[in-house]
Amino acid sequence: MNIKNEVLVRVYIVLFFMCLIAMLIFGRAIQISVFEGEKWRSQGNEEHRRYRNVEAERGNILTENGDLLATSLPFFDLAFDPLSTGMTNDDWKFNIDSLSYCLAAFVNPDYTPGGWKFKLEQARLDSNRYIQLKRNATLAEKEFIASFPLFKLGGYRGGLIVRQHYERETPFGMLADRTIGYVRPLEGDTTYIGLEGHFNDVLAGEAGRELMYRVGSKHWMPVHNLTKIEPKPGRDIVTTIDINIQDIAENALLEAMQKHQAKRGSAIVMDVETGAIRAIANIGQRRNGKYWEIYNDAIGTATEPGSTYKLAAIMALLEDGLIELEDSIDLEGGVSQFYEEELVDAVAHGLDTTTVWRAFEVSSNVGIAKLVHENYGLTGQGDKFIKKLKQFHLNFKTGIEIDGEPKPYVKEAYSEEDDWSGTTLPWMSIGYEVTVTPLQLLTFYNAVANDGKMMKPQLVKEVQQYGETVEKFPAVQIKGRIASKNTIAKAKRLLEGVVENGTARKYKSDRYRFAGKTGTAQKDYKKLGDIVSVGGYQASFAGYFPAEKPKYSCIVVISEPQVGGYYGGSVALPIFKKIADKTFATDVDLFKALNGAQKPILARNQLPDYDVGHRQDVQTVLSYLKIPFETRTSNEWSVIRATEADSLKLLKRTISEEKVPNVVGMGIRDALYILENLGLNVEIQGYGRVKQQSIRPGTRVHGQTIRIRMG
Amino acid sequence: MSLGARIYAELRGDKVIWMIVAVLAMFSILAVYSATGSMAYRLRGGDTESFLVSHGMKLVSGLFLCYLAYIMHYMRYNRAAPYLMAISIPLLLFTIFLGEDYNSARRWLEIPFIGINFQTSDLAKLALILFVAREVTKHKDYIKDLKKAFMPIIVPIIVVCGLIAPADMSTATLLLITCLTMMFIGRVSLKYIGLLILLWIVVFAILIILGDFMPDIIRSETWINRILHFNPMGEGIYEVEQAKIAISNGQIFGVGPGNSIQRNFLPASHADYIYAIIVEEYGLVGGFFILGLYILLLFRVTSLITKSDKSFGALAALGLTILLVLQALMNMAVSVNLVPVTGLPLPMVSWGGTSLLFTCVFFGIILSVSKFVEGGGFTGAVATGGGLKSSSDKKDDSRAEGGNSKGQQSGGGNRDRNRGGGSNRDRNQDGGGYRGGGGNRDRNRDGGSGNRDRNKGSNRNK
Repeated sequence: MNIKNEVLVRVYIVLFFMCLIAMLIFGRAIQISVFEGEKWRSQGNEEHRRYRNVEAERGNILTENGDLLATSLPFFDLAFDPLSTGMTNDDWKFNIDSLSYCLAAFVNPDYTPGGWKFKLEQARLDSNRYIQLKRNATLAEKEFIASFPLFKLGGYRGGLIVRQHYERETPFGMLADRTIGYVRPLEGDTTYIGLEGHFNDVLAGEAGRELMYRVGSKHWMPVHNLTKIEPKPGRDIVTTIDINIQDIAENALLEAMQKHQAKRGSAIVMDVETGAIRAIANIGQRRNGKYWEIYNDAIGTATEPGSTYKLAAIMALLEDGLIELEDSIDLEGGVSQFYEEELVDAVAHGLDTTTVWRAFEVSSNVGIAKLVHENYGLTGQGDKFIKKLKQFHLNFKTGIEIDGEPKPYVKEAYSEEDDWSGTTLPWMSIGYEVTVTPLQLLTFYNAVANDGKMMKPQLVKEVQQYGETVEKFPAVQIKGRIASKNTIAKAKRLLEGVVENGTARKYKSDRYRFAGKTGTAQKDYKKLGDIVSVGGYQASFAGYFPAEKPKYSCIVVISEPQVGGYYGGSVALPIFKKIADKTFATDVDLFKALNGAQKPILARNQLPDYDVGHRQDVQTVLSYLKIPFETRTSNEWSVIRATEADSLKLLKRTISEEKVPNVVGMGIRDALYILENLGLNVEIQGYGRVKQQSIRPGTRVHGQTIRIRMG
Repeated sequence: MSLGARIYAELRGDKVIWMIVAVLAMFSILAVYSATGSMAYRLRGGDTESFLVSHGMKLVSGLFLCYLAYIMHYMRYNRAAPYLMAISIPLLLFTIFLGEDYNSARRWLEIPFIGINFQTSDLAKLALILFVAREVTKHKDYIKDLKKAFMPIIVPIIVVCGLIAPADMSTATLLLITCLTMMFIGRVSLKYIGLLILLWIVVFAILIILGDFMPDIIRSETWINRILHFNPMGEGIYEVEQAKIAISNGQIFGVGPGNSIQRNFLPASHADYIYAIIVEEYGLVGGFFILGLYILLLFRVTSLITKSDKSFGALAALGLTILLVLQALMNMAVSVNLVPVTGLPLPMVSWGGTSLLFTCVFFGIILSVSKFVEGGGFTGAVATGGGLKSSSDKKDDSRAEGGNSKGQQSGGGNRDRNRGGGSNRDRNQDGGGYRGGGGNRDRNRDGGSGNRDRNKGSNRNK
């Protein structure tokens, strides 16, 4: 054959084969489209595949300094597909025995390893492509199971089907539980409660989408990583809540609730300068008598406040220049008649003529009611009084970031619609015929503490994403000044007077001063003829501390206490006091070091010679107390030596990590930490600092019991 | 004169191949735009246009590259082939050990400072085909000789394919088949080709064994899985089922452009399975049309070689075409589940970054060759002994051919001369429009070598 022809023949052969392949391909397309068309088209309908929403991880709710108030933990439903597409026969053969063993040992011991093997092999034969392994596995459990033989080959090859969902957790349990709230879908109608509800849009994130295809008759499997739209995780919200203060408030409230067998109670602690809510506790009694955060009364329940409202009445009088605190007033021994109604002072005081100031301190209903009645009611100037209440913002919602806040109720002057009568003004002045929520009243008291500047109560200070601030909510001033400087100064003196000499004097503290007003209100007061029925009492205390330079304001409201009294001064005030005491004790900003003054004699003997502690802690304390010291070691642990009169030296204290160390001179916290970490059992006697230890330093550790004597 | 007409007049080369390029590019825009519907939604929140723009830009730059490759005289590729090989082999080695992992295959290398990833195998494909075409034409007179002709061709083939294989067995095999076909056409003995196939089987086996030790570098596990799991009915394999659903949805005339449903369910619908989406949207008719375009390309290029059996240009063009068409057939065969998943894109049509650019260069070279062959050809040059006035093409070709042939092939030469008459006729029919500027430029460039060519030509006559 000549070359030219040889080439041509070969070219044609190539051409022929390629055309053949092309025809095969097209023939195959025809086969699929025409002859098998029905079958494939029916595979493409919705019966066989659908999209599923992929839940986004909900954002966290954080305390002021980043602790978790509410968070989402992932849980996993695990199943196995023995016919997964990527799995080879060899994969199956090599792994099935060890997998069965692992499943029997760690996942479900109801089957023996042999039983598991049989079950899995049977499923493979029966084309059962969905074998449930474990529901609600934690992340750690899921990771562990995913590391089993076969599963660890991953994806389609391993055959492990993982479906994730989230559960909401509140690590601090009851603390601020109702304020944190929840979002709960209920038969098509979702309930939105608390911060979870109000900030749902921020927290929820965006659901993703995942394609599922059907295996067998009822199970759906996700198509791995192909058409998945990743969910967008929600953002975090940082609240203003200080978990320490919250803990103090919640526990103080709970204790009192149990003591008084009360129905409901609330306590709020607010930062005076910013209106930031540091703690908000709401405790209610369940039918079984147990207490829990049930309803957010602090924000959502407006009641007749009683005597705590008197501050507003007297500020109105002062603001209108109608009275002075030194004016005298006849209290008529505590009983007075207003038209057909008799008004009685709650606590017998036996006073007749006294000053306005004193009348407020003893919380005389007669006194305040008479002042308002005479100055506004008898002169037909009720509208002026109402105007003042509005000036104090007592008829506005606070706009707190929780849904369901009611509008406070203040009657319009002489309005028939509001059943205005002759007794309305005197009764309003002592906190009846008006309603207000604890938070709204606290906002008013807080404004007084804040020199008249009314701050908007605030629960959320920022929105974060991945720890970065996305949006900040600065403190908002509702009103420049709710009353004149003069009036505010007088109001403060009145509130201080209540604690110094009045209804709250029993709880006066010698360590700091606080100011406030007690309140006791009758609930559901009914009068039919001569028969008077009282549905119960509401005890409250609103105030702030420290009195000189208010840092926190606080209100406590207890509804329907059953035992141990019902007065604001004996039920609510102790809670306020406890909150103030403990807050004071934990907040270094609130107290001053005492060593500014001249040193007492024998001061040197009081210096902590030979005390042992964590060097950095010791440095922090000494610096704070402004005691001069010299550090001569960079060791973790140090011993303090007082060599000269005024100066301390920090020297090295070696703490062995293998042998029993010398813990003499340490506080119990440090000593326990070190000894127990070494694996020793520790028995403690006495209190103070470690004086003696039962095992000599340098002894080898083998789990002995060491006795330490403190003194 | 309208712009279109002007371009048409300016462009020489095979008009049909130009049309094929244009139609494929159009289809590419339509199909990629449609198929990225779901991907765009996923990645960029619904901004399909950004994909369209990005793909359009690639196509435009691709067509520009195609034009550059086309205006270059194809003999330059002949000269460049050894250098390209010298660049490709180290790059392939570099990729194996230091390349970018993408979808668990190490095929990519980042171009420094530009930040564009490209598959080194794309460059290697081009280099190897040009090289094989060069070697086959160089040794064509004693092509059946094992030592002198076969070995210089076979060693580079095995090296390049062997280096591509660890990360990309499909491309390596495709390239090997293409080279074998080129050798087959270049009259290499069937015996040797069989030997080469055997050798490849040995390489494959070694790679599979090595794959156990170096799973990062050699994807032997994936190959075995794909091959063992291939089942012609595609039962239970998600992608295969979805592709079949797409094809069946299209029926005869398709659901219409942009109406594909399966793009939402079919992974890699813009690349591996784009043919299934095309059939869904344009029906069996559209599927046949696309298939036909590639086959038409094959026929057009084949006619080049029938015009000139011994030219480097014709063999290179045919080699590139076979690679393109084989790849297209492979891609379509995957879509219709004739073969296991290979991950090869549909040339010129699939979404696919830098390989699209290389595909365009392939087309440019093919067109460059067609420009000269069409013009009346190298065979004509031999026939008239370089005496024609517009003989730039001829000169160039005769230099290459003549230089290598050493006058041992007078028989062939005669036949060429006979065919030369035919080519002349072609030239006359095509008119002078395209000959002016281009012809002159070529003449100037190659003018200096004219004497040498003639000398060599006379050598042959000894």
